[in-house]
Amino acid sequence: MKRKIFFRLMLAVAAFAMIAFVVPQEQKKGGPWEIPKEYKEKKNPFKDDASLVKLGRTIYNKHCRSCHGNAGLGDGVMAKNQKTFPGDFSSAEFHKYTDGELYFMSIIGRDEMPNFEKKITDEEERWAVINYIRTMKK
Amino acid sequence: MKRILLIVIALIGVLSLMAQEEPTKDRPVRAPFNSGILIDNQTSVIPADKTLEFQIQHKFGKIDNGFSDLFGLYAPGANIRLALNYVLIKNLQIGYGLSRIRMYSDFSIKYTIHEQTRRNTFPVAVAVFANMAVDGRNKSDFGNNYKFGNRYSYFSQLIVGRRFNDWLSVQANASFTHYNITEPGIDHDKVSVGFNGRINFSSQSSILFQYDIPLKIKSITEHREWTNPAKPNLGIGWEIRTSTHAFHIYLSSTDGMIPQHNTVYNTNDWTKGDMMFGFSIVRFWNF
Repeated sequence: MKRKIFFRLMLAVAAFAMIAFVVPQEQKKGGPWEIPKEYKEKKNPFKDDASLVKLGRTIYNKHCRSCHGNAGLGDGVMAKNQKTFPGDFSSAEFHKYTDGELYFMSIIGRDEMPNFEKKITDEEERWAVINYIRTMKK
Repeated sequence: MKRILLIVIALIGVLSLMAQEEPTKDRPVRAPFNSGILIDNQTSVIPADKTLEFQIQHKFGKIDNGFSDLFGLYAPGANIRLALNYVLIKNLQIGYGLSRIRMYSDFSIKYTIHEQTRRNTFPVAVAVFANMAVDGRNKSDFGNNYKFGNRYSYFSQLIVGRRFNDWLSVQANASFTHYNITEPGIDHDKVSVGFNGRINFSSQSSILFQYDIPLKIKSITEHREWTNPAKPNLGIGWEIRTSTHAFHIYLSSTDGMIPQHNTVYNTNDWTKGDMMFGFSIVRFWNF
């Protein structure tokens, strides 16, 4: 009887171990963004305003760093809990987006990327974050 | 006393009218404080409209026993307050909280009459805070001639603050407290003043400080002399702010959680080391 229980237990452990190997552990990459035209064409009124970099860093550290990481590599402390990889802000692919597109992705959001309209209420502060993210090029 | 009240009411009226004037291009300064509370005090900051806040406040025992109870962390008699606040419309917040000491239920309202502006068109932020608390202890704790009204106490405060720069914000306040019934030797009415502020030292962390002084005003006291007047409240703390939370860890010299209790019943003397550790956690949800 005891041998039977032991055998079943071992079988369960082995099955669990095999499932662990089979189930993919990586985060999925986010699909393409559907960005409305008004945001694609949205102009950054604070483009190249160096005085906003410090403000942008402060807001990034407060709202974004926990998922996106210090350097925007998508390696923040909360990133592992997300189903979708938060993105690499240093990649050339990322910097192909226009400022307006980055505004939509950062402030309006989708799925696991939250909406920040109520948390970052000032327009200048929103663009300051975009400007700061722009400094994260490789 | 009536004259002071009239001046305060007139001041609030004038400021409210100014707040309703045509909006100019001078925008409000960036948030002078990271949350609506600062150790035991209120700040002029109210989150965006339709924000729900859940506050968890906890104070441990006094630190004077040293290592025997790990500076009060393991002392009996800790105080707890749980509260919910909601921002109904821009700059108007209401709330409810429940404390362990005297099982106070407090109903509060805060209104930021005017925010400080960037080009100093309006150089300070002005807010008013008021609450009504209901003492929730058993009937027997109120002695003879019990009436439900004996449980009520009221607190009102005018807050004037200024964000001086990226790292320094300071506030001053004047308050009036009224208890319907108090213990012998304690006044029903108390006027107090105080100041508090924050010093930012990183993008998410600040040092907080506060000092509140219950005033000894002869014209409103009911006693010939003050035998055991309420003591000033000193506090110093550390604040960490994230996107959805504000955390405070602090040392404070009052064991209460609501301002009227701190103003009237604080017997701890910080000059003699009567301080206690505490912490607050505020969780924000935006709707």
